[in-house]
Amino acid sequence: MNETVVKIENLVKRYKDLIAVDHLNLEIKKGEVYGLLGPNGSGKSTTINSMLSLLSYDKGRIEIFGKEMTPVSYDIKKKIGIIMQDVAVFDELTVYENIDYFCGLYIKDKETRKKYVNDAVNFTGLNDFLKFYPKKLSGGLLRRLNIACGIAHKPELIILDEPTVAVDPQSRNRILEGIQELNQNGATIIYTSHYMEEVEQICTRIAIMDKGRKIAEGTKEELKGMIKNTETITVETDNVPDEILKKINSLSHIYETEQNEDKLIIRCCGGKHNLIRVLNILQESELNFGRVYTELPTLNDVFLEITGKALRDREE
Amino acid sequence: MLHNLKYELLIRIKSKGLVFWMILFPIALGAFFKISFGNIYDKYTSFSTVPAAVVENVSNPVFHEVIDKISEGDEPLLEVTYTDRKDALELLKDQKISGIIWIDDEITLSVASDSIEATVLESFLNQYKRQEKIITDTAKSNPAALENVISEISSETQSCTRIPLTEGNTDNMLNYFYNLIAMVALFGTEGGLEAAIRNQGNLSAVAARKCTSPSKKSVTLLTSLISACIVQALCCALTVTYVRFILNVDFGSRLPLVYLSGLIGSILGVSLGFVIGSVGKAGENAKTGICMAISLASCFFSGLMANNIKPMIISKAPWFNEINPAALISDSFYCLNVYSDYDRYIQKNITMLILSVLLAVIGLILTRRRKYASL
Repeated sequence: MNETVVKIENLVKRYKDLIAVDHLNLEIKKGEVYGLLGPNGSGKSTTINSMLSLLSYDKGRIEIFGKEMTPVSYDIKKKIGIIMQDVAVFDELTVYENIDYFCGLYIKDKETRKKYVNDAVNFTGLNDFLKFYPKKLSGGLLRRLNIACGIAHKPELIILDEPTVAVDPQSRNRILEGIQELNQNGATIIYTSHYMEEVEQICTRIAIMDKGRKIAEGTKEELKGMIKNTETITVETDNVPDEILKKINSLSHIYETEQNEDKLIIRCCGGKHNLIRVLNILQESELNFGRVYTELPTLNDVFLEITGKALRDREE
Repeated sequence: MLHNLKYELLIRIKSKGLVFWMILFPIALGAFFKISFGNIYDKYTSFSTVPAAVVENVSNPVFHEVIDKISEGDEPLLEVTYTDRKDALELLKDQKISGIIWIDDEITLSVASDSIEATVLESFLNQYKRQEKIITDTAKSNPAALENVISEISSETQSCTRIPLTEGNTDNMLNYFYNLIAMVALFGTEGGLEAAIRNQGNLSAVAARKCTSPSKKSVTLLTSLISACIVQALCCALTVTYVRFILNVDFGSRLPLVYLSGLIGSILGVSLGFVIGSVGKAGENAKTGICMAISLASCFFSGLMANNIKPMIISKAPWFNEINPAALISDSFYCLNVYSDYDRYIQKNITMLILSVLLAVIGLILTRRRKYASL
């Protein structure tokens, strides 16, 4: 578990005046499912493409499996599987032919390749679609084909760049389960996404990126521990009077209230029994309200709190 | 390499665009050319015996003998019907003859319309009248010289023997078919374009995936180009076969060399497309449009759409004709068909090969990058 698979030091990538990746440092260990989380344009794909030596970069050093990664590092490339954000298959080839073609770029022995292709087909559940052309596949099946083409050669490091974009929930779950299975089979996974819940579901360690920088890194528990919010209470009610809001705000461990259309959102930091204390105030004031529920912080809360939307708006 | 080549060929063969643009479109265009121009040569440019009627209102034994002489032999100039005025006019009206020669005190000609046959009849009569006048004038003014004059006229006539410029088929309409094959060869630009786009990581997702694999770029690129050339050459050969054996267009006796030129032309087309695909970051659709525009413009200046364009280019900008890919391909077919020697044919094909190598080298220089500034 301690062996370093990917090491990025001080990576800088500029597009003219825009800094896409800003002095990024990452270290990914063997067996991890490492999530790169961030909004569109945060530098995730640029980081991945730099890692793969597709993109030139201005500064920094990238090592994979202990060796510097260059475009001619064929021995390293053999161990990597890539699943791009854009589906990268040939429309003219059937499902089987596509997987066989891309697998053939890695595996020269015909018999071994045949076995690997069949394994990939079974793994992605494409058995019934082997003679289908990509254009005849649904979005979810197409994504599965994209994954099959990337993992058929049984790579040790699998990089998935937003593999579930535009995929229905059922296929998305299947893809996520597949990624966890690949990890259980020994592959190290790098997973980029802007879907917080996906990253939270499958990643053992997460880096949050914004504007090309890594702004936080750790397990999901560690990340959640970095923020003030520990609990969010939501009350379905209209126009809470100011005096009641003041009472709620005066409670200890409550640091923010927000009236959002027909919901009152109350954010808490630490403390116990926050929900009961809030309910007591609401009942005493004889306010009409509907459902009341409480949520633990998500990575979305972590991201919002760390990046600070209001702060960014002012900067812009 | 064989694995790559197998799939590159499969990808190209299964392409829907290939079936339409490389097979169906040339077949349809070839059939259109055949229907439109197929009989023009026979009707207007190839020589055949001219049918004419002769109405002898007065006796002219000398002219009668001349008429009989030129109506004899394997390839007679005239096919004469001696008849009266009424029948002659009837034959002319029914277009069974091209003209009526009236023998009165003066010999005159009536034709129904302007045509090559009418011109032949008119030229024949003019020549006869000119020679008759020379003899008559000489007899009046210098009878002693008459014998020499007749001898001169006879020798002048006898020396006008037919010297064919070529044994080949010089039908101008063939240019349309030459250019049709050139067009198919130049549609190879699409194959070259795909080779570039599918191997440059910044131009397509499949190329990015290939670039992250351990397969060497030189290998994947080479197999793409080879497969493009193979498929293109096969399509070109198919077009040549169709034009020659289905449409029965005569390409002369050196047909294997027509196929060879088609192959070289295909390589030129693929190289041209490869360069277009390698330059800039425009999308595949934009570059496909550029390829199509360049191919069709090249064929236009070579005379695919109008036969008189090429002579105009040759007279105004001959250098352009020497580098225009479609003109080079169609000229090589022309040289093969018309000239008995191989000099011009070889020159055209060597020029095509040099251009192909030049374009391929430029393309390779442009695509040799393995890292990109942006994707």
